[in-house]
Amino acid sequence: MRYTLAADTGGTFTDVALSVDRADPVIGKSLTTHGRVFGGIEGAIANAAEAVGATSRDVLAGAEIFVYGTTHATNAIVTGRTARTALLCTEGFADVLVLREGGKRSPFDFATDYPDPYVPRSLTYEIAERTTSTGEVRTPLDDDQVRAVLEQAGRDGVEAIAVCLLWSIAQPEHELRIGALIEECLPGVPYTLSHALNPILREYRRTSSAVIDASLKPLMQRHFGQLQRDLADAGFDGALLAVTSMGGAMHVEDLIEQPIYTVRSGPAMAPVGALAYAGAERPGRDLIVCDTGGTTFDVSLTRDGRIKETRETWLGGRFVGHITGMSSVDVESIGSGGGSIAWVDPGGLLRVGPQSAGSEPGPACYGRGGTEATVTDAALVLGLLDPDHFLGGRMRLDLAAAEAAVDRIAERLEIGREQAAHGIYVIASDHMVQAIGELTVQEGVDPRDSLIVAGGGAAGMNIALIATELGVDELLVPRTAGALSACGGLFSDLVEEASATQYATTRDFPFDVVNGALDRLDASLEEAAERLRARGVRETRVEYGTEARYPSQTWELEVPLPTSRFQSPDDVAALADAFHDVHERVFAVKEPGQSIECLYWRARLTAKLDGPTVERREDPPAPAPAPRLVKQAWFGDRGWETPRYHGAELSAGVSLEGPLIVDEATTTVVVPPGCRLQTTHYGYIVSIGETSAASRPEADR
Amino acid sequence: MTATTRETSAGPAAERFDPLLLAVLANRFDSVCREMTNTLLRAGRSTVLSVARDFSCSIVTADDRLLSAPEGLPVHVFGSHLATEAMRELHGDRIADGDAFLHNDPYMGNTHAADHTILVPVIVDGEHLFTAVAKAHQADCGNSLPTTYMPDARDVYEEGALIFPCVRVQRDREDVDDVIRMCRRRIRHPEQWYGDYLASLGAARIGERRLKEIVAKYGVETVRAFVEEWFDYSERRVADALARLPSGTIVGSGAHDPTPKLPDGIPLRVEVRIDAEAGRAEVDLRDNVDCVPAGLNLSTACSINNALTGLLNSLGTEIPCNAGSFRRLSVLLRENCVVGTPRFPTSTSSATTNVADRLVNATQAAIAESGDGLGLAEGGMSMGPGISVVSGRDRRHGEENVYVNELVLQSNGGPASPRADGWLNFGTPVIAGMMYRDSVEIDEQKYPLLVRSLRVLPDTGGAGEHRGGPAQEVVYGPLEDPMTVIYTVDGKVNPPRGVRGGGDGSPASAERIGADGVRSELPAVSVEVIEPGDWIVGTTCGGGGYGDPFARDPERVARDVREGWVSERAAREQYGVVLERAGRELTVDLEATRALRGARGEGS
Repeated sequence: MRYTLAADTGGTFTDVALSVDRADPVIGKSLTTHGRVFGGIEGAIANAAEAVGATSRDVLAGAEIFVYGTTHATNAIVTGRTARTALLCTEGFADVLVLREGGKRSPFDFATDYPDPYVPRSLTYEIAERTTSTGEVRTPLDDDQVRAVLEQAGRDGVEAIAVCLLWSIAQPEHELRIGALIEECLPGVPYTLSHALNPILREYRRTSSAVIDASLKPLMQRHFGQLQRDLADAGFDGALLAVTSMGGAMHVEDLIEQPIYTVRSGPAMAPVGALAYAGAERPGRDLIVCDTGGTTFDVSLTRDGRIKETRETWLGGRFVGHITGMSSVDVESIGSGGGSIAWVDPGGLLRVGPQSAGSEPGPACYGRGGTEATVTDAALVLGLLDPDHFLGGRMRLDLAAAEAAVDRIAERLEIGREQAAHGIYVIASDHMVQAIGELTVQEGVDPRDSLIVAGGGAAGMNIALIATELGVDELLVPRTAGALSACGGLFSDLVEEASATQYATTRDFPFDVVNGALDRLDASLEEAAERLRARGVRETRVEYGTEARYPSQTWELEVPLPTSRFQSPDDVAALADAFHDVHERVFAVKEPGQSIECLYWRARLTAKLDGPTVERREDPPAPAPAPRLVKQAWFGDRGWETPRYHGAELSAGVSLEGPLIVDEATTTVVVPPGCRLQTTHYGYIVSIGETSAASRPEADR
Repeated sequence: MTATTRETSAGPAAERFDPLLLAVLANRFDSVCREMTNTLLRAGRSTVLSVARDFSCSIVTADDRLLSAPEGLPVHVFGSHLATEAMRELHGDRIADGDAFLHNDPYMGNTHAADHTILVPVIVDGEHLFTAVAKAHQADCGNSLPTTYMPDARDVYEEGALIFPCVRVQRDREDVDDVIRMCRRRIRHPEQWYGDYLASLGAARIGERRLKEIVAKYGVETVRAFVEEWFDYSERRVADALARLPSGTIVGSGAHDPTPKLPDGIPLRVEVRIDAEAGRAEVDLRDNVDCVPAGLNLSTACSINNALTGLLNSLGTEIPCNAGSFRRLSVLLRENCVVGTPRFPTSTSSATTNVADRLVNATQAAIAESGDGLGLAEGGMSMGPGISVVSGRDRRHGEENVYVNELVLQSNGGPASPRADGWLNFGTPVIAGMMYRDSVEIDEQKYPLLVRSLRVLPDTGGAGEHRGGPAQEVVYGPLEDPMTVIYTVDGKVNPPRGVRGGGDGSPASAERIGADGVRSELPAVSVEVIEPGDWIVGTTCGGGGYGDPFARDPERVARDVREGWVSERAAREQYGVVLERAGRELTVDLEATRALRGARGEGS
């Protein structure tokens, strides 16, 4: 037996996806063990192994690849348990992390305190040096001053050091020298140089990347080290990889040097899983990937088979949190999920969230002391959830408690119970519709051209309603939706990236300079490829891109390069045309004939891991079994007799008309009236009908 | 003259609007505005737009009622309806699908000449339903000096800006080249202007596209019904908030610092009348001096929106700001008043900043003095060298290359509130923290300048139970050629006041550091030419504090000392907090603090 394993350790559950001889994954779940993650991982492996008649010991001993996803870094940042980190910055700019980039959520918000910097002023040290925008050294570095600073930092008990000097991206000598002096004065203290980690313009972002990365080094070295030892003790001798925020995987040995890539890596894996399944079911479609948990709803996109990325990932919220500054999978995350609480504002408007009942006390129907109506309570009142088969029957829901909670909302609104429940359900869904809108329409993507793929425990509950609102005609819920991120880990590629800052304008294109920069990128990736070959990875490919803008714009748009090297004016013209098109798609205007400025050049190396492959299958029509039960459920403004099925009883090839509900072991798929369900080998395809009654009541008007 | 009253349509709701659809559509309209905002930010060329975000997007109904402006600067958007009124008056039924209008006339509802407003009427089946509005502060507007603020200008002729009284700039979605040529001729750095124009136009066109989609999806009648219902809802929200304020008349005052043209400064008087039972508030600005022969007069739009901002700053974040909520808020203005309705050719060149900031401050501070837990202290208001317009020659890109742009390198300290300390990146009262700040690296890449330092200054935020935001100091200078820096420091003579026992914020200043290292004071309002080797220094105001500093949580004081925002001495003298130092660790000596604080109680 040849096993491939992936694990996703979340705040509550650890999910495992397991593939035997590259076959479709099976999934396992267990409670996360926070002290030492291996306990939960082993439990989940045992759970998955059962399904293939093996033990966790067999699986670990026989696994060649183990892809690990963790929220450890993200949690450490959110709860402030990272290393005592120093920042070394250019003299005169010690407030770079305090000053940030400005902005506030609302002009009328005078109740929020200004956020603290990631590194306090008392651990920020000014270095007497200065380089200009052209890379000219104006104030040379003084080794003695740096040594004095490092000695002070040592006395101050720092455990990690970030170095970010102004214009180190134009001339890295000063940062490199400080790196050497750290090794001399404070041997063993891990450090991060900003130009090496993330060579971007804008001092706040580059500094933020560097301090976050440095602050994670001691912690993630310990975390990965412990896991490596625990896995080895359990008999694992394959390759240990971890997932990254770029939506790929890296060998743990490499990732320990740049742990910032593990930040928010979990949500980055859902689109990888979605691409695998959708590639088999609906090849070539662009995807909207929705991952719904108890407290958050994450959306990501794919376009032409690539996952959409961003450089604006914030931890703890835009303006008040900390920006990672790294290019990573663009995940729009909102605090909306099954636990979101409904309330009525002083103007009489029904609102849902952002407060959440979480898992403790949880929704009223959990019977753990929660009394406020949540989205889960509303779904239960509407008959969309089965109180006896929630989470595969692992938890019984209290219908009476849910009704009482919803009734309190109904009274304030002077409407009926079901109407209020439906309102909560619709408004929560609408927040999700907006989140998808932010990510699609704002980038010039029409959501109607996409296929929705739903993952997460609460995935199927309202996804048909969301699709209807967006005008999307089809959606896919994989059978493994409850562990979509773990599956993503199993399907992921190895991804490494190199980037270079090199200004070039199409008005007078410096062919040699740009090709030289691309040569350097290739050289840097060749080192990575060499390491991979040494570990037995064979197939690699490299793609190139640039971040470009019109003259004097300050924000860039990413454009893939039409060629790996620029040979002729035609190559340059092709790049300019590609930019004009992207600009028009995103901003509704373009300036044909205007020159283009390119700022950064990027190359990305992708290597195939030897994981399972999901192939297209023909599913011959199969008869539908009798429903497990038929019960009333509310859709729109009335109740419908709605059959319920168990996922395990529905083979591939079954076609059914809504309304109906399928209870899978880790999720529930709701198919409203007017929609059609098609079961496949990998999951459920729901077609949204023209007359879908999933939408809100159009009565009264 | 009453500027904003529009009586409630009190007719019985014939049919009740679906409350769920109400919430959904309100979100949709706000999301359209956010998308417009994002477009303008990312497509803009000058850093004043693309970095500092000095622009605002809004949606106005065809009958000139502000509907949505979720992320706008209040100073920009609350007068949007005056701009669309001008469009209808001038173009009436000749408004057609595919049109766009350029409007910057301060005598016809615009804020000031430097704010170019693009208005795109949204026309469905021949009917004008909404107007998508994108207003952006230009890097240059053709003034007689390379600045968009002319506080000393005698009148609009001395300002010299090109004024476009709502002219058609696109027909059938194609530029009207006559207008574009005029701008390209007279506006400095025409390429930059045209790029910024495209960004504003793109934002308004995106708004138009999305609004048409909403109408197509929900139908005209539903959308119309929504608008009325949403205004009614907003009105209920503001009435509910006003009901929690004490009824009565509060008189607030303030004063703009002296300027070269106005040695006595500009005194301000604001009368706020609150009727909590009726859920109404009124700001009376009529008892103020006549328009002054300088560029500091407020336009009608700025008089209305800054009085409203002072009020709304005291009502929390939940109030939707639109024509519905404005039914309960009136602003009384008179003609030819410095905070009123100026007559042509009175200059309003600096209408969005100086006196406007004073008006916001005077209003919110007056409300603070009317009861504990209400209003705000005053926020910093200086537009000194770190928030100035710089220009000169940039030889890095050829001998003939020139540049002009507003820098936004620093911020004033924000006002303390009953619930939080002043916001650091506050900007000024009209900006209220909504703008972004420049990146030092971006400014140095785009302009031939070098920033020497940029730091937060200790003991500058007004002390209080909640502390005012601290002031900042920036030092910068040109590389090879002289640089002209045009700025307007306010808050040097009359710094931001604290309220309810809170201390005042620190005053602003401008200075020069010569090549010999000697530091000298510069005039508050000036056009300075900085030679290579010299540096200009801008120091902003700290914000005013709120409440008794002796009531401040000692842990917060300790945190301020650790971060270098408050000195140990000030902790003791102003806050009555005694700190203990062990190595680099700093902790509160609770007993000594209690004793020190108690001693004052006994002494008084």
